[in-house]
Amino acid sequence: MEELILELKKEIIEVLNLEGMTPDDIDNDAPMFGDEGLALDSIDALELIVLLEKNYGIKLANAAAGKEVFKSVRTMAEYVSKNRTK
Amino acid sequence: MDNRITSYCRITNDAVVVNGEKHTIPRTDSPWLSDIYHAENLSYPKFFKMDNLAKAGFLGAELTLKDLNIDKTEPKQNIAVICCNRSSSLDDDTAYQHTIQSADNYFPSPAVFVYTLANIVTGEISIRNKIMGESAFYVLEHFNPQKFCSFVRGAFSDKTIDACLCGWVEYFNGNCDVLFAYVTRNELKNLDLHIENLYK
Repeated sequence: MEELILELKKEIIEVLNLEGMTPDDIDNDAPMFGDEGLALDSIDALELIVLLEKNYGIKLANAAAGKEVFKSVRTMAEYVSKNRTK
Repeated sequence: MDNRITSYCRITNDAVVVNGEKHTIPRTDSPWLSDIYHAENLSYPKFFKMDNLAKAGFLGAELTLKDLNIDKTEPKQNIAVICCNRSSSLDDDTAYQHTIQSADNYFPSPAVFVYTLANIVTGEISIRNKIMGESAFYVLEHFNPQKFCSFVRGAFSDKTIDACLCGWVEYFNGNCDVLFAYVTRNELKNLDLHIENLYK
């Protein structure tokens, strides 16, 4: 799981253009959205949905599920681990 | 010729000039616009999510406003933002096209798509500076000081507008051509000549 978490962090930094940030700067359990943690916005959420489909073959059609999946990098990794097709 | 412009900024592929002073921009492996951002000690993480056109416009506006005593946190109804260019958002349109080019690799990027309109530039500048006055983005065949200034004068036809942050913001295929100016109502006389001279 730790390996997947690190991989996801690197991908998130790249696709969301988080300039100057390294995987170590991202707490595994910190909230990804809202005022704390990564403070991502709605466009970032859409970009993460594309990332899941492109890199892991996961189609996330349910917006409510996305809220749980993208709580933190750890919840995202757990979801990827269970649902990935590639 | 009197009535100089309050503040202006010129950005090309290899130079940044603010109010007549050439700024030193150390080159790194990063893109030119990122080098400018770092050299000017700007702090706005959203910059890195912008497309190149919005980055160019953002930098032009930031450097033009830098030495003016304008509170970025206070909403302002009395400033207009007017921009023009030649290539509209074609640079980002092309980048977006690449994300949907192949049926086998069809992943439309939302973050790229949101910049496929040139007037997003004026929106980004307005959000950054809490400018709530009129904003518009015009696409012209080429840089034309007379037309450019007619748009600026048009903004002042609204009597509540005291100043206009106006810019020629062109970015396409790695070529950057930006002239930004902060013009007040008292500076409209000879504006065409001033703008033409600053662009040269």
